[in-house]
Amino acid sequence: MSRSINMLVGPAPFIHERESTSSLAWGTSLALLPAFIWGLYCFGPRSALVVGVAIASAAAAELLIGLLHRDFSLGDGTAFLSGFLIGLAMPPGVALYVPIAASLFAILVVKAAFGGLGSNWMNPALSGLVFALLNWPREMGTWMLPRQLGGAQALSGATPLGILKSSPSIGDTDLLGLLSRAGLRPSDFDRSITAFLNEEVFGHIGASLPSGYMDLFFGNRPGAIGELSGILLLAASIILLSRRMIRWEIPASIFASYGLLVWIFGALPSGGAFFSGDILFELFSGSFILVAFFMATDPVTSPATRVGMLIYGFGIGVLTFLLRSFGSFPEGTAFAVIMMDCAVPLIEKIHTPARRGGKEASRG
Amino acid sequence: MRFPSTLRHNGLSLDFKRDWPLVPPVQNAFLPAEAVVLLRQHGGPSPRCIVQKGDFVREGQLLGKAEAEGSSPVHAPIPGSIREIREVRLPSGGSSQAVVIVLQGTFSRLGKREEKYVWNSMSQNDILGSLRDRGVIEMEGEGRPLGELLRTSRGPELLVLDCLAREPYLRTESTVLSERGAEVLEGFAIVRSVLAPERSLVALDSTERDLVASVRALLSDKKEAPDCFLFPPHYPEELRRRLVEAGALSKKASKAALFSISPSTALAVYEAVVRAKPLVERYVTVAGGAVKRPAVLKVRIGTPLGDLVEECGGFLGAPERLVLGGPLCGEPAYDLDMPVTKLTGAVIALTREETNRGKRVPCIRCGRCVSVCPEGLNPEALFRRIALNREGEAVSLGLSRCSGCGACGYICPSRIPLVEAFEMSKQHVEAKKR
Repeated sequence: MSRSINMLVGPAPFIHERESTSSLAWGTSLALLPAFIWGLYCFGPRSALVVGVAIASAAAAELLIGLLHRDFSLGDGTAFLSGFLIGLAMPPGVALYVPIAASLFAILVVKAAFGGLGSNWMNPALSGLVFALLNWPREMGTWMLPRQLGGAQALSGATPLGILKSSPSIGDTDLLGLLSRAGLRPSDFDRSITAFLNEEVFGHIGASLPSGYMDLFFGNRPGAIGELSGILLLAASIILLSRRMIRWEIPASIFASYGLLVWIFGALPSGGAFFSGDILFELFSGSFILVAFFMATDPVTSPATRVGMLIYGFGIGVLTFLLRSFGSFPEGTAFAVIMMDCAVPLIEKIHTPARRGGKEASRG
Repeated sequence: MRFPSTLRHNGLSLDFKRDWPLVPPVQNAFLPAEAVVLLRQHGGPSPRCIVQKGDFVREGQLLGKAEAEGSSPVHAPIPGSIREIREVRLPSGGSSQAVVIVLQGTFSRLGKREEKYVWNSMSQNDILGSLRDRGVIEMEGEGRPLGELLRTSRGPELLVLDCLAREPYLRTESTVLSERGAEVLEGFAIVRSVLAPERSLVALDSTERDLVASVRALLSDKKEAPDCFLFPPHYPEELRRRLVEAGALSKKASKAALFSISPSTALAVYEAVVRAKPLVERYVTVAGGAVKRPAVLKVRIGTPLGDLVEECGGFLGAPERLVLGGPLCGEPAYDLDMPVTKLTGAVIALTREETNRGKRVPCIRCGRCVSVCPEGLNPEALFRRIALNREGEAVSLGLSRCSGCGACGYICPSRIPLVEAFEMSKQHVEAKKR
């Protein structure tokens, strides 16, 4: 009485968590969608074209590599995510060859040449971005004003960080005032929200919020397509964190180290005192949120241990501060992450799990 | 978010109650028409077969005689004639002689008034002797013969009746405790009288309120009753670490200071010593999404797995995996003709939705394995070393401390067979040492 059924045999464990490598990549892409839609609203269909060609060229490159290896990995979603991130980090009006070149460089050179998924030691999306930044600095430094600030067509206006970089005037510690004078006046939306908050909340505790922060927070400013809306990116990252699709250690460490440095030293270049840096301005005026939550957390290029992640994040925070303060580009996050990517083997050498294991071995 | 448990303990936060919408009453499984009794029920040397093809055996008659240390005797679970004696493949690897008995004749035990011996008046040697002669072993894990084990473990600091949930799906121990609580506690008392520990306690799952209440009620009228300790379910179980955290065991206590037995083992002790019954039956969980009516059954050793599944209404669909034991560190079953052994605590038939099997892709170094490893190891680094054939480095990173709990393999989003690699590598390293 043989009752054979078709079953898999193989060793334990027999059950797995639902999350897979591809669901992580697709899930992260999905979480970025609201921020992209905001960019689309601000800059019009042109921005969809930029993101579209970035994704398409990343996918084409992945497909090409798949043809060479006879092993197709497009479905794992990682190439799509790289392309999506590159598109989101582009200025909306950029010439289309820039995102194409960035995506091809990211997938073909940075990812595939080093062995494909899991073997690259620099973040593909950020490498592509830096490649574009260094090759075409003018294209990558030309920004558009969002539709609600009046000039969707005007290829003008620097980002808040760019304005800050090009105005080394001593004694000018009011960063928002600086923006106003450079032409980035607070929108009506900002003024009404700020007035409401000052009346209902801050008024009661004797504080007052200057106009301008709400524009930065909600994304009424020039910038890359996907980096604008701090609030949408934060909401997405909260979802990813709560589902443990990204690890909290890295962004927490980046925020803590960068925020602390800005607070202590941030006001010095413009002649301010210690401990008076404008943290909110620095956090919400560039690509900081996008990079900290969605790029620095790339598992492949970040350390695998908790202490390693904290060190990695700390390094990114410090380097971002140094690059933004002393570098030649207004933005420093991409460079900072790539530098720390290269330092990961070193971090893992300093913090070896064996040492941690050895200490606990006495537990028996 | 379940951060607290990950921060404190590592390990996994699993839903232990899943797939158990109702707690079914225990059923006595039908007697198998044909029982396949393995002579090697557990590790250690095989007992010597003392019956032949064509022999008639009574229920409980000796089939295999234990002649060496680490071996324990095997008895006939059903009366009948011996159809054949053949070689059977074991799930853990290797093979064993098996005695195939076709059910025939009358039961000598069923329907008769049960014997009851007063164990308090028995000498320790008599108790140990009846545990050995009746084939009592640890009912899980390695399954070492209990008589031998008790003789060499006298005077531990702490004796524990371990009723904690080990893995999802498994309900055997909690069912034994709720159905046969008084006998389990008496079996535990017998073990305590032999071991003479400094302290004894019962470790219970804090989420099983009814069970905790019934055990407390049973203990309330006893003199020198063991204390009850409650722990929330957690994977892996790690009894020792929890006892240390609860202050029941000192941190520096040696390995021999803690002795724990399961309710199934305690029940087997009671049956052997008080009822003078050889070990021929046990409780088995039959569960998993592919089983129509999951249940805990009281089963004769040697019953084919297929009989158990049929008893539970058969399969709902084709199961993707059939597992002996828990879904995280059980063993794969090859077919439904495999018999229940003394160590078979559960048969789990898993559907595709439950296994979440996926395509294996390269490691993305996400570090999830690191965050769940209860031993504080870095499975990612270990695997990389093993894949590069650098086992020495893996050993220096703590490979030998891997307990094979499967937490890393469960959580890995790239579905890398980490546990398999570690087990093979450990065996390889062991073999090299010899």
